[in-house]
Amino acid sequence: MALLNRNGEVIEPSSISDGANPAGGLAITPLAQWTPERGEGLLLEPTDEPEAAHTRAPLIAINFPAFSDGRGLSLAVLLRTRYGFEGELRAVGDVHPDVIHYMKRCGFDTFQMPEGRKLPPAANDANGDGARGNGASTLAPYSDYYQASVIHPEPAYRRVRRGA
Amino acid sequence: MLVSPAIPDRKTRERKTACTHLSADRRPIQMYQYDTFDRQFVNERVSHYRAQTERYLAGELKEDEFLQLRLRNGLYVQRLAPMLRVAVPYGTLNSTQLRQLAFIARNFDRGYGHLSTRQNVQFNWPLLEEVPDILAALAEVDMHAIQTSGSCIRNVTTDQFAGVARDEWLDPRPFCEIIRQWSTSHPEFDWLPRKFKIAITGARQDRAAIAVHDIGLKVYQADGRTLFDVFVGGGLGRTPVIAEQIRSGLSVEHLLTYLEAIMRVYNRYGRRDNKYKARIKILVRAMTAEGFQARVDEEWAHLKDGPSTLTAEEIERMHTHFLPRDYPAQAPVDLDAQRLANPAFSRWVEQNVVPHRASGYAAVTLSTKLTGVPPGDVSDTQMAAVADWADDYGFGEIRISHEQNFVLPDVPEAKLLELWERALAAQLAAPNAGLISDIICCPGGDYCSLANAKSIPVAEAIQIALGDLDYQHDLGPIDLNISGCMNACGHHHVGHIGILGVDKKGSEFYQISLGGHAGHGELPASLGQIVGPSVARDEVVEIIEKILATYVALREEGETFLACFQRTGIEPFKERIYGTA
Ligand code: SF4
Repeated sequence: MALLNRNGEVIEPSSISDGANPAGGLAITPLAQWTPERGEGLLLEPTDEPEAAHTRAPLIAINFPAFSDGRGLSLAVLLRTRYGFEGELRAVGDVHPDVIHYMKRCGFDTFQMPEGRKLPPAANDANGDGARGNGASTLAPYSDYYQASVIHPEPAYRRVRRGA
Repeated sequence: MLVSPAIPDRKTRERKTACTHLSADRRPIQMYQYDTFDRQFVNERVSHYRAQTERYLAGELKEDEFLQLRLRNGLYVQRLAPMLRVAVPYGTLNSTQLRQLAFIARNFDRGYGHLSTRQNVQFNWPLLEEVPDILAALAEVDMHAIQTSGSCIRNVTTDQFAGVARDEWLDPRPFCEIIRQWSTSHPEFDWLPRKFKIAITGARQDRAAIAVHDIGLKVYQADGRTLFDVFVGGGLGRTPVIAEQIRSGLSVEHLLTYLEAIMRVYNRYGRRDNKYKARIKILVRAMTAEGFQARVDEEWAHLKDGPSTLTAEEIERMHTHFLPRDYPAQAPVDLDAQRLANPAFSRWVEQNVVPHRASGYAAVTLSTKLTGVPPGDVSDTQMAAVADWADDYGFGEIRISHEQNFVLPDVPEAKLLELWERALAAQLAAPNAGLISDIICCPGGDYCSLANAKSIPVAEAIQIALGDLDYQHDLGPIDLNISGCMNACGHHHVGHIGILGVDKKGSEFYQISLGGHAGHGELPASLGQIVGPSVARDEVVEIIEKILATYVALREEGETFLACFQRTGIEPFKERIYGTA
């Protein structure tokens, strides 16, 4: 069960958070058992409702029951943009390499790859917007995207001179 | 008989690496022109999909994994072969693009393509390995197949007469393009519970059928502001529903943030446990329209005025792509004299030519509904010919209508006769636009693995039985729509006469409904009512003939089929068909 960062490099869980929020070795607790006080990571299911209190978790893992289930993408966007969560956001469950470029734009930092799924080649994509692409890279296929996202809060028409 | 062209041997047939027609004179035309941003995205999408195909062929992607990726690139596997659905954004093409589609039909397919009810073009026999090359050929002419299948936001559709219709309040195309760009590979909304279709109309007569779409938008101007009325939860399929209005007078700058609010509510709460209950209409029904609207408003309160708010510059930029063109004055022509001298031409003008905003011009429907040809099927030579006519008698622009016909939007009246002669020779001059033989028909059991019954032979049998054009003209406008199963790709619910293929103890039966329509004049859409028990294929024609005879007997002076049905209701039809009420 490899854990990948946004570049697709396999990392140790402890090496991803900065010193203030060490995530290594953290327990990750489902919402029903989680309390903000214990300093544990929080596991959200796609049916859970995000709340401001959740942002006190050092890490939030969002479960994808199937890779084609996009609910976790909306959950991530809400945590990042509405509740201001700044800790590590991790995709777990049926994480698919070909969905990671969407996940990155929704604010995910790390990706827990399920057993038996082929890992994608690493891509130089340190700022995580999936936009280092020449098309062929699974993790960073495009140079830019049309819409606003967590990573680029402004849509292309506010950032790029269009029409040329 | 359905005639299939001979299948060229894939190994021996000529494969050109580049197309020769791209250097053709490119006159400025009033449609969206790609910039470097668009081109880069589409080119990267081709490389992206090529790499995914290679991984699949190398065994690195499993069947169900690749399925999701290929669907989002238009590749759908049907009963006999893969089908590639090419996006024709809101049904508008230029002649260079149509020639490229002809090139693809010739080199990657069996020499024809299919115009779909969603204004797209489908190829029925591409090889999976060659799809990346087809996509590359599309990208050369600023086209793609992105999000034409799969549980994502599909190609936005609109009025085939957008920009030229006399009853138009506002040209919907700039907003179609804004939505196209916003919905392309959206980070949050590409993995929805189910497919998602948006349609926009800007005219009094809703030719985009917005009431039967997941989101329907009506755009208009009031007090110098551009506003939208927003409808959600319409759709056909096994649970046909007319959309409910959840907002009126949405100001244009809020278009995308409001759409995002709807999409987020649907993405989070739409059902994913049962694909037959996964469309937004089921969610809207479960929450009630008021409940859904309240949830969207709550979401929108956070998004409103955020960065996805449209800027005045962006709206202006889109408008400049669709500015009304300057129509050069045309030499006057005595069309009446031409028509008097040529009754066949006259009939075609009456049926297939509609008035244009600019005097001296007309918009022309080139019907694909020739008896013996599956509705919507066009050969490569027909495509190339239509492209030539668009250049010779227009500004190089072509539309595809949801009735599966070509439309040339800007033909000088003085050129109609010449165009008709050429269309006649190319078998694209059937004078039946809007008549009963202008049948909308899904691929059905001949091609589609989901079908309960064949649909194309039913269409053909009806066309043959009603061959007499005088009779058809006398019957006036009748939409006859056929679907091979309850997925309703042939829009049978909104046909004035609808035919649905059903499975009855393992054999093919047909259920017939009356009185449906997709929004007619000021009338909102309504769904057809079933007229009686389903029947075997060889009985369909007889029932249709009885329905028409009933109409002829009941109609009042000048009353159309639909108006007559709406006046009398279904009972007199039942009575006369089955001898009972
Ligand atoms: S209506 Fe049914 S048979 Fe016809 S194309 Fe759609 S899924 Fe296939």
